[in-house]
Amino acid sequence: MNYRWLGALCLLTLLASCGGGGKKSIAIITPSHDNPFFKTEAEMAGARARELGYEVTLNSHNDDAHQQDQLIDVAIANRAAAIVLDNAGADASVASIRKAKAAGVPVILIDREINVNGVAAAQIVANNYQGASLAAQEFVRLLGEKGNYIELVGRESDTNAAIRTRGFHDVLDKYDTLKPVGRQSANWSQTEAFQKIETMLQANRNIQGVIAGNDTMALGAVAALKNAGLSNVVVVGFDGSPDAIASIRAGALRATVLQPAATIARMAVDQAHKLLTTGSTGAPEKQAIDCELVVAGNADQFGVFARKESK
Amino acid sequence: MTLKLLQLRALLVLLALLAVFAALSPAFLTTGNMTILIKHVAINAILAIGMTFVILSGGIDLSVGSVAGLAGIVAGALLNKGLVLTKWGVVVYFHTWLVILIALAVGALVGAMNGWLVSRIRVAPFIATLGTLYVARGAALLLSGGATYPDLAGRQELGNTGFLQLGSGTVVGVPVPIVFMVILAGLGLAIALRTPFGRRVYAVGGNERAADLSGVRVKSVKLWVYVISGFLAALVGLMIAAQLASAHPATGETFELNAIAAVVLGGTSLSGGRGGIGGTIIGAFVIGVLADGLILLGVSEFWQIVIKGLVIVSAVVLDQLQDRQAQRAVALLRSNS
Repeated sequence: MNYRWLGALCLLTLLASCGGGGKKSIAIITPSHDNPFFKTEAEMAGARARELGYEVTLNSHNDDAHQQDQLIDVAIANRAAAIVLDNAGADASVASIRKAKAAGVPVILIDREINVNGVAAAQIVANNYQGASLAAQEFVRLLGEKGNYIELVGRESDTNAAIRTRGFHDVLDKYDTLKPVGRQSANWSQTEAFQKIETMLQANRNIQGVIAGNDTMALGAVAALKNAGLSNVVVVGFDGSPDAIASIRAGALRATVLQPAATIARMAVDQAHKLLTTGSTGAPEKQAIDCELVVAGNADQFGVFARKESK
Repeated sequence: MTLKLLQLRALLVLLALLAVFAALSPAFLTTGNMTILIKHVAINAILAIGMTFVILSGGIDLSVGSVAGLAGIVAGALLNKGLVLTKWGVVVYFHTWLVILIALAVGALVGAMNGWLVSRIRVAPFIATLGTLYVARGAALLLSGGATYPDLAGRQELGNTGFLQLGSGTVVGVPVPIVFMVILAGLGLAIALRTPFGRRVYAVGGNERAADLSGVRVKSVKLWVYVISGFLAALVGLMIAAQLASAHPATGETFELNAIAAVVLGGTSLSGGRGGIGGTIIGAFVIGVLADGLILLGVSEFWQIVIKGLVIVSAVVLDQLQDRQAQRAVALLRSNS
C-alpha cells in the first residue's frame, strides 16, 4: 500500500518536472544562502533569468563538492539549458563541470575560478587581487604608513583566501614601518574572529590595525576591539556586505572593498542566454571584474553588492 | 573511585597544558589572558553541562549548536524588528528581559521536542537530535531569510536596550559569561549529586530496565535532560549574539562536537551512567586552553585542528589502557587468592 503511494508520488514528480511547458530552465547553484553575498548573487541571477523567460532553480551546495556533483547531476537529468555555478572548490569541481559539458549543458562560473581552462563556458569573477590591493592601500593610508597590525585570513583551503592575502601582502610588505604581529585564520567566521582577536590582544595590546579577508571576520574584530576598549584601531574588510557598509556609516569599520556580485550574476545569465541563442558568449572565458573601495565618504552610494542605481 | 581517577587524569592533562603554554608564552599566565580564556571556555562549558546530563542518561544531543543559533536569531528578530502582527497591522516590541525569556523558552521547547521524540516515540537519541539539528538550523535561516541581524543594542525609546550586557557586561569585574558558567556548574553539580533527579539520571543511564523496575519514571527523566540541554544551548546562543552585538543564523555550527569532546575528555562514559559535571568542566578547560594557547603561540590553523584531535584521542586511549590495567590487576588478585 505504502509502496503504491510512493510510486504515484514519483510519477507525479516526474510529470511535474516534464510539464514545464517547454520553457527552458537555468540551474543556479551557489554556496549557502546564509551569507548575504551568495544570497544576492543567486537572487540576482535568478531575477535576470526570469526576465529573459527562463525557468529558474536555486540550489546551494554548502561548499561540499560532493553535494555540488549531485546538484549538477539533477540539473543534467532535468535537461537544464545552462548552469550558473559558484563552485565548491577550484580542483574538486572540475570533473562535475566536465560532466555537464559532455552532457551538452554549458556551465558559467561566477565568483570563483577553477584551475582548468576550456571546460566552463565562462568564468566571471571579481578581481580579488585588485580588490585586496585596493583594501591594503587604504589600510596603509589610514594607518599613516606605520604601526602594528593583525591579519585575519579566510578558510585557508579556499582559493580566494590565498589570493586576497597575497594581494594584501604585495602592498603591505613594501612598508618596513608596518609590522605584522599576528596572523590567524578565522575561517570567514565572525564568532571565530571575535575570539581569536580577543586572545591575540592578550599577547600584544599595541595594535594599530586589523586587516581581514572578509567583512564577517572584520566585524568580529570590530566587536572584540570595542570590548577591549580599543576603538581607535583601524579595521578594514573585504566583500562590501550590507552589514559592513552600515558599520562604515556608523564609523566602526573603516573601509571595505565591494565585490560587484550583483553585476557578475547578471552578466553570467546574459552570457548564458547569448550562448544559447547565438552559440557564443561573445566574451573571453576568463573575465575579472574590478572591485570598488567603500569608505565613510562614499558609503551612501552603495546598495546590496552593487552601486546604487542613480535615479 | 573510578570517577575520581578519571577526573584526576583530565586535570593532569590540563595542568600539563597550562605549564607548557606558560613556559612558551609570557602573555599566557596573565590575569587578562586568563579572564579572556575562561570567557571563551564558558561558551563550551555551559553547552557541555547540559550535554553531560543527556549523556549520563544514556542519550546524546546533537542539536545544541543549531539551538544556540536559533535562540540568537529569535532574540535578534525581536530586538530589531519586533513581533510583526500583520493581521492587526501592529508591531510589538518586548522588553529585553522578555526577549531573553522567549529565546530561552524556544531553546527549552526544542529540547522538549527532543525529549518527547526520545522518551515517548522511542527514536534513537542520535537520530532524533540529528533531525532537530537540521530543523532548528533551517528555522533560524527561515526566520532571518539568511541575513544577519546587525545591531542588537536596542533602542532607548522602545525600552529594549541592555541585551549586550549578557555577553560583554561584568558583575563586580567578572565577565557575565564566566558568572553564568560558575553558577551553572555549581547548580549542575548540586543537581547531579544531591538531588533525587540527579540520582535518577545516573540510574537511567546505568541500567534503564533496572531503573524502570525500581520505580524511576524513566520517560520523565529523559524528557527533562533534553529540556535542560536545550535551555542551556539557547543561553549560549544569546551570550554569543550579545558578544558580537549581532545575530547570524549559522552561529553554533559544530558546537555540539566541542561540547561532546569536553564531556568525553572529562571522563563521562558515552554509554551513560558514569561520569559527572566536574570532569566536564575540566574537559572544557582542556579544549579552551589548547585553542587559546596555540593562537597565542601563532600556530597555524591546520596544526591547531590536528593537535586538538590528538589530545582528545590520546586522553580517551589513556582511559582505556588504565581501565584494562585495573581489570588485569583485579583478575590477578582473584587468581592469587
